[in-house]
Amino acid sequence: MIQLTNVIKKFAGRLAVDDLSFTVPRGEIFGLLGHNGAGKSTAIGMMLGQVWPTSGEVKVCGHDVQTNRRAALMKVGAIFETPVFYDYLSGARNLEILSTYTAPTSPARIREVVEWVGLTGREQSKVRTYSHGMRSRLALAQALLPKPELLILDEPSDGLDPEGIHEMRQTIIRLQRELGLTIMLSSHLLNEVEQLCTRIAVLQKGKKVFEGNVADVKAELGKVALKTADFAGATKLLLERGLITATAMEKFITLAAGRTTAEITQTLVAAGIAVDGIWQHEQTVEDFYLGLINRQREEKK
Amino acid sequence: MFLAQLKNELWKLFGKKRTYIGFGAFLLAQTAMLMAFRYTRWQSDFEKLLNGNGYLAAEFISVLTVSVVMLIPQIMLLMPLYATLVGGDLVAKEAEDGTLRMILSRPISRVRLLFVKWSAGIIFAFLLVLALGLTAMGFASLLFPWKGMFVFAPGQAFSVLTAHEGLVRFCFSTLFMAVNASVMVSVAFMFSCFNMKPAAATILALSFLFVSMVMENIPFFNRYENWFVTHHFKCWLLIFLNPVPWTEICQSEIVLFAMSATAFLIGAMAFQVRDIKS
Repeated sequence: MIQLTNVIKKFAGRLAVDDLSFTVPRGEIFGLLGHNGAGKSTAIGMMLGQVWPTSGEVKVCGHDVQTNRRAALMKVGAIFETPVFYDYLSGARNLEILSTYTAPTSPARIREVVEWVGLTGREQSKVRTYSHGMRSRLALAQALLPKPELLILDEPSDGLDPEGIHEMRQTIIRLQRELGLTIMLSSHLLNEVEQLCTRIAVLQKGKKVFEGNVADVKAELGKVALKTADFAGATKLLLERGLITATAMEKFITLAAGRTTAEITQTLVAAGIAVDGIWQHEQTVEDFYLGLINRQREEKK
Repeated sequence: MFLAQLKNELWKLFGKKRTYIGFGAFLLAQTAMLMAFRYTRWQSDFEKLLNGNGYLAAEFISVLTVSVVMLIPQIMLLMPLYATLVGGDLVAKEAEDGTLRMILSRPISRVRLLFVKWSAGIIFAFLLVLALGLTAMGFASLLFPWKGMFVFAPGQAFSVLTAHEGLVRFCFSTLFMAVNASVMVSVAFMFSCFNMKPAAATILALSFLFVSMVMENIPFFNRYENWFVTHHFKCWLLIFLNPVPWTEICQSEIVLFAMSATAFLIGAMAFQVRDIKS
């Protein structure tokens, strides 16, 4: 649904996106991670034809955004970090206005979308009377109006309270499950990304430094947490016997290929080292992200 | 689809309170002018001038005469301010508020979006001037009779017309004022398409008009007067001359139409290559 190929964007000589390439297949929830100014919004801007790439190719729904923007965006909905509307008009009027920029939309479709997002009864109120949560729902409604196949969400939970963030998360899951949408999500809320996305890409200073499955990130294969009173003695023994290949933070061991935690436990117990606990470590996306960013910084130094 | 988009653009424009604040300001100014004409020495001085030129003042202090008197300061001061304010808002305000980004996430081309906005601006300019002309006549009719018309005209000390002829010329005058207003909107709209705040677009447009007016009035530039847009704005008064200088008026109107179109094209080109970011 989205394909970026060697995309570069410079603003007045400053590199905002540096040789970015990735693909988002149909049905996926893809997360774009990165610190403020990493280039996430610029990348999204290029997908929506709002920012022109300096070089490279951006394809959405199979169409080049630069040369065939209309076809590329026909089945795309988008939500930006702070939902802004014409405050002096009603929610329904806002939807009517925005729908005319895509294709003729029937009042029945507008009612259907309003109902889907849970704004029924308030659609005739002026937007200035809406809470932040209601604005977010209206933003979702406008994105759903053209019956999109792809939804692009730029920091959708920004400014929401914990309840609002939870609601937004549930809505995104519902959108994917009930409507089968492909979702492209940019966020710096790592917990949100972990719970929603199937695959992520991490940007740092405009450059992609990682792309992979969230499940792989969480499992980080081979890394095991070992809890024992004599961690140093235990790891020395395990290294000597070739059962592990590395240790970390006086807590983690990396198993050698083909080795299991059961073998480790047996070896340590047989050597008289008590094992209080041993388990496959599942790191959070946050651990992974921070580790990745720190490693990048150190490499640059 | 274009008509639906245009209708919605007008909804946006006329849904704002500041739109009506502007109309309100015009009404207040008109009332003040009317009161000043009626209850100060202004009217008696006017009557003396008419009598001194051999006309019966009572026959020419009329709805049409007073309407033009009321309109002159508004056309010179309030209209440029208000037209450029609205024109400067058309794109830059949406960019500043963030609604432009939402619109441009939809499959509408930038040129089409601008054309819709510009058309709405032009319609607004015509409606504004129409309202001005109608309210001026409406207010004047409360205090003055429907008789012949006396009007100061450029290049000719004054012009005297019958009520019927005066009304026809007043209608043409209103049309030419609307063209002037649409040029003002277009210039502000052009600046609004660049990456700048709405106030900056308005100030730049006003500066452009002001510089044009000042230069046009410097004797050295007399031979270049056709190059100044404000020179062509005078059509709304030229129509009251006897005989009507249609050739000059047509030339000026063509220049003004070309000016509007050029402003739109420059704005569209700038907007087309611009990056829209939050």
